[in-house]
Amino acid sequence: MNSIASSQDMNQGSEPFQVSLERFEGPLDLLLHLIRSQDIDIFDIPIARITEQFVSALSDGLETMPIERAGEFLEMASSLVRIKAQLLLPRPEQPDWDEDPRAELVRRLLEYEHFQDVVHVLEGAEAQRGRHFAKGFVESRPAPTLAPVELELTLAEFLAAAARIPEPLPPVEFRPPSQTVTVAEKVSLLRRLLAKAKRVSFDRLFRPWGTRAHAIAALLAALELARQQVLRIEQVKPFASIWLLPGERKRAGDPPEATESAEGIA
Amino acid sequence: MKVEQIVEATLFASQTPLTLEEISRADDGLDVERVVEAIQLLRDAYEEAERAFQIYQLGDGFQILTRPEYAPYLERFDSVPRAPHLSPAALETLAIIAYRKPIGRIEIEEVRGVSASSVLRTLLDWELVQVVGRGEGLGRPLLYGVTQKFLEHFGMKDVSDLPAADELPVVLGELQQAMEGERSNPLAAETVDSAGESS
Repeated sequence: MNSIASSQDMNQGSEPFQVSLERFEGPLDLLLHLIRSQDIDIFDIPIARITEQFVSALSDGLETMPIERAGEFLEMASSLVRIKAQLLLPRPEQPDWDEDPRAELVRRLLEYEHFQDVVHVLEGAEAQRGRHFAKGFVESRPAPTLAPVELELTLAEFLAAAARIPEPLPPVEFRPPSQTVTVAEKVSLLRRLLAKAKRVSFDRLFRPWGTRAHAIAALLAALELARQQVLRIEQVKPFASIWLLPGERKRAGDPPEATESAEGIA
Repeated sequence: MKVEQIVEATLFASQTPLTLEEISRADDGLDVERVVEAIQLLRDAYEEAERAFQIYQLGDGFQILTRPEYAPYLERFDSVPRAPHLSPAALETLAIIAYRKPIGRIEIEEVRGVSASSVLRTLLDWELVQVVGRGEGLGRPLLYGVTQKFLEHFGMKDVSDLPAADELPVVLGELQQAMEGERSNPLAAETVDSAGESS
């Protein structure tokens, strides 16, 4: 026993070993710290002293610990007490190491310490790996790119589409119920517009009125005329503008249109 | 077009490690041996030209990464993500799995002396460990092993990059020796002392 150890031995009675439980992963970590920091021979652990220090370390902080974690420390404390009791029993003059009550504890401590060395190796490897950078780590644009997600449209398209959604009308505004709109009205509006232009924006059919009823009527009118092949509906990509173009079939009474497709069919 | 340049273009364009097979898909004329050869030529060329990057092997993948001496410059950019540091509990658990795989949760907990279920869940989420099979015991417990992502995180080619168990400072063999060999009777005299000093 060297002099440092003996001086600690003298102190330990009056001055409890100060440790903060939070620092330790678990009971083995704490126990190993108590042994290594006092330069104790791990093959000859003074169980009574270590048990006392272990229990006094638990006295602070055990109550604030999650119960499962506290249980782990208490289990170790009870093992230590049991070993201490076993050591007090009469034993053969030349005991085998295998029969020493401390043997299993020492095995676990050494195994645990072994893996602490592996942890240091891993920490070193992690730090070293952290010094290598892959491409793409320095962003060239201020906007962070989103994680790759399978999407049919881009963020820009989505935002642009969202921006086009009209503000909901204030609910306080009173509209007489007589001002509803019929699909027939939209059909005739659509026919008039198509007569004047080569293509009509779908928005044009309801945006000026700004109500859901107009939008629904316009949609039904467009779909009906598309079904009759009076017009074609085109949209280049999701959320792009919807365009209505003259279809292949002209109804009698429809003003003729001088479009290339019309000529081709004629 | 030279093989090296095709391999270089493939590696350059990728943000994740590529296996030899993946790289060789870049051209019909490529096979694994030619890719290996090209990677070696490229590595030598980068070394020769003192490039700021090099081709590194991470698990079975290859990736172009900056050389470590340039880390201080890159770290001045806020947008450079800091590699996450694993918690002591996570490192402990990974250490045990890396050396004892395949290993079940109960065995991990025996070594650590604390519960391992929540840290295992986290490691599974991060794909640093995976289930590699089931044990024979009661309830056929899940057995865990480390993953390719583990190798990437720690910059290793293989778990054999880890030092062999007997190269580490605390050698388990020491314990075996103590139990069998000359220290088989380490307590006869000393126990009296320690019992005396501690009471």
